Amino acid sequence: MSVSIVPTLKVLLPAARIALVALIGLIGGYYANAMFFPGTSPEQPIDFSHRVHAGENEIPCMYCHVQARRSISAGVPSVNKCMGCHTDIATDRPQIRLLASYWENKEPIPWVKVHDLPDFVHFTHKRHVQADIECQTCHGPVETMDVVSREAPVEMGLCLNCHKDNEVVHGTDCWTCHK
Amino acid sequence: MGAGGGFMLAESIKHPVEHLIPYAVPPEEFSSGIATWYNSICGMCPAGCGISVRTREGRAKKIEGNPSHPVNQGRLCALGQAGLQVLYNPDRLTAPMLQSGERGSGEFVQTTWNEGLSEVASRLSASTNNDGIYFVSEGVRGHLANLFELFMNELGSANLLHYDFAHPHSLYAANNHIFGERQLPYYDIRNSRYLLSFGADYLNDWLSPVHHGLGFGHSRQGNGDARGRFVQIEPRMSISGASADEWIPATPGSEGILALGIAQQILAGGNYQGTDADDWNAALATYSAAYVEDKTGVPADTVARIASEFSHAEPGLAIGGGAAGNHTNGVDTLVAVNALNYLVGNIGKPGGVVFNPDPVVGSSTAGRQANFAAMQDLAENARQGAIEVLIINNTNPLFTLPPGAGLKEALASIPLVVSLSSFMDETTAMADIILPSHTYLESWGDDMPQPGVGFSVGAVSQPVVSPLYNTRATGDIILGLAGKMGLGEAMGWDSMEDYIKDSWRNVYERGSPDAGGFDSFWREVLTSGAWGENTRNSNSVVIDKQVIDNIAVAEAEFSGNPDEYPFVLHPYLSTTLYDGRGANLPWMQELPDPMTSIVYGSWVELNPQTANEMGIQDGDLLRITSEHGSIEVPAVTFPAIMPDVVAMPIGQGHEEFGRYARNRGSNPIQILAPNMDAVSGSLATSATRVSLAQTGRRAAPVKTGGESRQLGRNIVQSTGADGDSAGHSAKLNSIPIVVDPA
Amino acid sequence: MNIMERFISSWQKYRKPGYYEDFDYAWTMSIDLDRCTGCSACVTACQAENNIPIVGEKELAKGREMHWIRIERYWEGEYPNAKLKFIPMLCQQCDAAPCETVCPVSATYHNQDGLNTQVYNRCIGTRSCAVYCPYEVRYFNYNSHHWDSPLEQQLNPDVSVREKGVMEKCTFCIQRVRQAKDHAKDDGRRRVQEGDIQPACVQTCPSEALVFGDRKDSNSKVAKSLADPRAYHVLDELNTLPSVVYLKKVDSDG
Repeated sequence: MSVSIVPTLKVLLPAARIALVALIGLIGGYYANAMFFPGTSPEQPIDFSHRVHAGENEIPCMYCHVQARRSISAGVPSVNKCMGCHTDIATDRPQIRLLASYWENKEPIPWVKVHDLPDFVHFTHKRHVQADIECQTCHGPVETMDVVSREAPVEMGLCLNCHKDNEVVHGTDCWTCHK
Repeated sequence: MGAGGGFMLAESIKHPVEHLIPYAVPPEEFSSGIATWYNSICGMCPAGCGISVRTREGRAKKIEGNPSHPVNQGRLCALGQAGLQVLYNPDRLTAPMLQSGERGSGEFVQTTWNEGLSEVASRLSASTNNDGIYFVSEGVRGHLANLFELFMNELGSANLLHYDFAHPHSLYAANNHIFGERQLPYYDIRNSRYLLSFGADYLNDWLSPVHHGLGFGHSRQGNGDARGRFVQIEPRMSISGASADEWIPATPGSEGILALGIAQQILAGGNYQGTDADDWNAALATYSAAYVEDKTGVPADTVARIASEFSHAEPGLAIGGGAAGNHTNGVDTLVAVNALNYLVGNIGKPGGVVFNPDPVVGSSTAGRQANFAAMQDLAENARQGAIEVLIINNTNPLFTLPPGAGLKEALASIPLVVSLSSFMDETTAMADIILPSHTYLESWGDDMPQPGVGFSVGAVSQPVVSPLYNTRATGDIILGLAGKMGLGEAMGWDSMEDYIKDSWRNVYERGSPDAGGFDSFWREVLTSGAWGENTRNSNSVVIDKQVIDNIAVAEAEFSGNPDEYPFVLHPYLSTTLYDGRGANLPWMQELPDPMTSIVYGSWVELNPQTANEMGIQDGDLLRITSEHGSIEVPAVTFPAIMPDVVAMPIGQGHEEFGRYARNRGSNPIQILAPNMDAVSGSLATSATRVSLAQTGRRAAPVKTGGESRQLGRNIVQSTGADGDSAGHSAKLNSIPIVVDPA
Repeated sequence: MNIMERFISSWQKYRKPGYYEDFDYAWTMSIDLDRCTGCSACVTACQAENNIPIVGEKELAKGREMHWIRIERYWEGEYPNAKLKFIPMLCQQCDAAPCETVCPVSATYHNQDGLNTQVYNRCIGTRSCAVYCPYEVRYFNYNSHHWDSPLEQQLNPDVSVREKGVMEKCTFCIQRVRQAKDHAKDDGRRRVQEGDIQPACVQTCPSEALVFGDRKDSNSKVAKSLADPRAYHVLDELNTLPSVVYLKKVDSDG
């Protein structure tokens, strides 16, 4: 004789409803995190504004990020570099005084990395800068940012698309970018 | 809840926050992402190779040989590469310490440099007898050695000793005796066509292994069609023996008799035309081939053949050391080896023995090296209460001296023991005050390598990274003590760096002090990593008639009678651990021993026939007993060792020295008899007889190598000497790449 | 090119006999067994350069060695005529690599320099490649590794640190090759020349037994090694077309 599965399902129905709601909640929560707390714009120890320095004052990127043209890493300016101007400029502002206190204690400023590539990626600023790619291409319109935020997704697609579009020699070889 | 869960999921898979930390003021040569290289000197063994260290963002990443340094010419051995693990070792001493409990209890408390230095300085100043101050350091050369001399001079004490386990005392004594030379000569293996080695493991640990490796490679295949021939005479095949064309096992301790036998054959064959031939003939009359065969076990016709080959090679070179130099007749053996060089006339010639000039940088410190007799005397003096303060610098006599020296017990009679070492080894564990030194990668210093390369060569060692911990350079510690004791006049340098720089002005003035001045000279020495000068020693040699008349090698003596102790113990310096200093380096513990592929432990090697007769299998735990103690070690069969000889590597068996070294394996030095060579007073490490017994337990050593026979797989292929090399190409299945001229 | 076109061009590239003649470089290593002394400096140099972990005694007892280059030793004969021969064994960078054919996710492939490369991110850890490799030169990370602080300060930033579940092997120090090409480009687009790049093992070998270079350069030392009468490939009969050529040890009697 045939046995119906329906009674079993009826019992499970409340559990299924709860599971469905939980699943929707899970997905919703995930996207809420992604939308409102993406981590692309972390808080920095000093409120350094690129808009003021690179935008208004038109300081070239490589004045501070000295290594970009000759090294794999663009480099972050030393406290020495900041004090080069700020020993005299705007010394009354609270953020500058904060900077000066780092300098007096001979302490480096612990900037939070915004464009953080995973450790297994080999990205060399040198080759890209020397290929005349503008900083803004990957970093976005930094000179308009008060707080640096990560515009481009730090994903393999970004690199690969550009390499393919520009027909980079061996650009799609895994070991070009992976270590 | 679901929303919360999803939120946390997204959070948890996010990349952790990283920081970008710049410098406050970057150093001049710093560029992030670009490596900075510094030249320095390797400190892992006494050879003194030049190194170039790659640093990134202030951290040392890789040590390479310095191509400009004549000793190693860009190459480096495994121990040298592991120097990074000395620098970044997790068990380094990080600050000055005082023993708060009983000596040896390990209850150290940290203190400040000021306190540590003051305490030691005041105890030194308060000593009633100047000669009660003893300073025992690892072998150092260059200006650090000078600094030690100055310091001890100022203190009024003559008791400055350098102590290295593997120092070739017998070789120095032999060279002095027959050639009147106080420096070690340069053995030109590179240009030799026939190398006859009596126990000297020249590719592994004898004198300057990297340089010899270079010479070996060149002699083999770098010299056009002429291929050098290498013959090794020893009771157990060493690394050099494995690379030799011929390995000849001779009764332990009889290598000198064999050498004289070969010498006698050279004379008998009319191959020596010197004016003192008659004296030689008279002196060597006893050493007929038959006599030699009887004493050494080497067949008479082999002796004759070797003598002929050696004397007809252009040139032949004879070297001795290792086990052969470490018997009770060690000096006589090495004198006999030197005689062979003299008889074939290779002194001062390419491919022969080239005498070295006196060191230009720093003083010659060979005279300070403490042999076993001196260490025994030290222990005796301690027991008599004659030692008030003992300062130890980076040497570990409690591990490398047999207990027969009585040093551990004697320490109890020394009121103050100070250690300047960088690690908590067995000797440092017995210290009352520890003033830890920088490692060699963090220190200023200099060196003139010995045995050098036949002309004056020197180098400066500079820090490649900022000091990691609250340690100081050894030289700075000495200068600090001198400062506290008011010895400012004679030792008024601010730091080791100043001292070295100042001392090198003298070296600068030797050359033509022209363009640039001292500063640019200094800069050049550091950027090239080596300095040289064409000062050579005269190589004319006249051997005293007395020396010739008295040339003889007695049979070696052993401790223990052959009935109770049927085997001769042959301890050898391990490729990976040297004299035990590599035991705290994980890379070295994990590096398979090249001959047996064993890692992380000790083992004893037996002839397979012997093992068979005694029913011993690989991995059986054996008890090795000498008249002076016993240890338990797993057995391994080893095809190239004499049936009545057992061999064990030195280096394991530490009780202290960090997490990688502790309580691992056994130390064969522990059961060695305190027998000495009568002439040089050095420890006869190969003079102990032992017995083997099964414990009934197994402790199979960990091996990385698999089957040690090829079983027809043809993995290592060889060609006959005159075989395939004539004419046709080997058959390769690969299709050669042809490139059009672009 | 779109996906289909790229796929077809790749396929055609590898199916064409003599496809490696189109390599940019053909990196080759020659190992002279007559010079090798078994000192194992190459093993330690490789460990330092490539962030090779310490696996520890327990794992080694299970046979889980982690050395990208190893010294194999083979005894011949019996006392007193026993002989011991050493041979350094590392990834042969085979042009007809068995490991490349089996990887289900194509984590190992032949690149434009003739190197057999391993992409750690793609590897899913089936370990078939290690089984297929006749030289047994592929090593699997059975565990994630830990360096007792501050030993991790020594790690080379140009090389990944591999996690559990990933296969690794000798890469001919591809990070050094990459850097050499970078420098060559800085100097104005010239090719990487003989002596510009040496893997860590080659650089440190005291007896100069290991030699590295581009066999497409007919003046290079490795090209001369290939023409040497003593040259042979290990396990030649398997026809893996290795890029490592060995020079036979000269056996002299006596």
